[in-house]
Amino acid sequence: MVSASTGISQELLYQVGYEVNKRAAIVVPQDGLTAFGNAWERESKPLAHFILGKILENAKLAVADARPMCGDTGLPRYYVKVGNEARIDGGFVALERSLRRAVADVTQDIQLRANRVHPLTRKNPGNNLGVFAPNIDYSFEPDGDWIDIIAVHKGGLFGTDYRMLFPADGTDGIKRFLLDNMAEFARRGLSCPPVVVGVGLGGTKDQAVSLSKEAACLRLIGNRHPDPDVAVLEEELRELANKTGFGVMGVGGDTTALDVHIEIAYTHTGGMPIAISQFCTAYRRAVARIHADGEVEFREDPLWFTDYYRREGID
Amino acid sequence: MSQYQGREWHLDCPLTGEDIDQLNVGDLVYLSGPVFTARDGVYKHMLVEGHAPPIDLLALTNVTFQSAPAGVEVSPGKYHVSSLQATAGFRYAQYMPQLLEEFGVKVVVGKAGMSEEVYRDVFQKHGAVCLTTMGYGLGAIYGSAIKDVLGVYWVEELGISEALWILELERLGPLLVEGDVRGNSFFAGANEEINRNLGSLYEGLKPPVYGRLGEEHKPEIELF
Ligand code: SF4
Repeated sequence: MVSASTGISQELLYQVGYEVNKRAAIVVPQDGLTAFGNAWERESKPLAHFILGKILENAKLAVADARPMCGDTGLPRYYVKVGNEARIDGGFVALERSLRRAVADVTQDIQLRANRVHPLTRKNPGNNLGVFAPNIDYSFEPDGDWIDIIAVHKGGLFGTDYRMLFPADGTDGIKRFLLDNMAEFARRGLSCPPVVVGVGLGGTKDQAVSLSKEAACLRLIGNRHPDPDVAVLEEELRELANKTGFGVMGVGGDTTALDVHIEIAYTHTGGMPIAISQFCTAYRRAVARIHADGEVEFREDPLWFTDYYRREGID
Repeated sequence: MSQYQGREWHLDCPLTGEDIDQLNVGDLVYLSGPVFTARDGVYKHMLVEGHAPPIDLLALTNVTFQSAPAGVEVSPGKYHVSSLQATAGFRYAQYMPQLLEEFGVKVVVGKAGMSEEVYRDVFQKHGAVCLTTMGYGLGAIYGSAIKDVLGVYWVEELGISEALWILELERLGPLLVEGDVRGNSFFAGANEEINRNLGSLYEGLKPPVYGRLGEEHKPEIELF
């Protein structure tokens, strides 16, 4: 419980941070399970079908045994959406301290791999914390008095790329970039397909990269962009990615991409920056909302891309 | 949907020459017994810098995993593994001659394997095979097949996620035979089939107006 004068407590933030990290590591979200199940049912290649069956079995065992679904437990990170009226006891610094502590404790308790190391010395503090780690990204929402805490444990050294395209390249350029990305990273399954592909199109260059990551990790499989032109392109790219035939693990199969999500941002009139990120088979995300009265609600849909966040229809 | 027809083997580590010879690409393997893990940290420490392993690896097993598991020290000196997955093996091809030569390794379990050339030039010569984990994210299935952690070494020097782990397996699998002793690669075959259709997907899509340095457009090739 929280009192109106102090706001959401540090302890509650820690508990929720702990719980979303634990769930992210172990539990495949329902949209992922459904998509893997559909892919398994549809698959026409015997080996790919066999592997998809094992992925479903693995998902069940992870929950039954409370084990991380993949031995590479990825890099734990947070996306935090804060209602404009929300109050946090101790402010944002307290929030960040709680979220850091949660990552360190889940690493020990759930036995995540301590993946975060110094990039040069390779020194490992052993708790998935470090310089700029874990990432915490924020967005805001008018009127709400709640805080959404989303944990994502994205794995994979492969699958992400950026390129500056130009207006003359048009959708041909986008499709080629997607095909190139698949050929580079789905081959031998280096990026661990079936993946959810996120495309960041436009914006500034760095925005394109971070939007591609968010598009891959923070929209439900099957969700379509509200802009009909973008939604059509999402469908086309999904079809194209699957036509490559890499399939699960790159062994040859019908499903390489469970979905393609595109996020667009207004960009420089002369360019069309594009980035792609692939969210691997270890589809790890968990979402919780902490209400002002201390009630905690877990849900599947990250609801990250709100109209306000996309700056749709605001002044 | 027909069942996958790959043959299935249940083998004990260390594997015998006969065990290894009978494996063909595309077969499924389940392993029991002791294995050691090695990835960047161990390869550099042991092979490049020449630190002798703290235990006699050759006497223990001839199977290595290109991995460090997800696991922690639960009490001083006592480790537990929750989940296991191998890392992409192509980047360790450079260490294979020395590893197979000096440490008698006959089975390398990694992710996605290496090129056919490495199998022909190095593995074949030593009568060794390359297996790949499957899924790839079957971490819980593999983790549950780890019966015991027999030891964890070089934690101080390399950190827990690069350390040398000695694991006792009980029917860990399925693993896929990616490179057999005859120098064949499963993925080379899979790639050939995929490549037959890949080029056609580019048809009618005009190339970008501005290239990238070093860009040669050959989506069919392996990049390692
Ligand atoms: S890319 Fe994903 S599924 Fe593959 S090993 Fe890494 S975390 Fe696991």
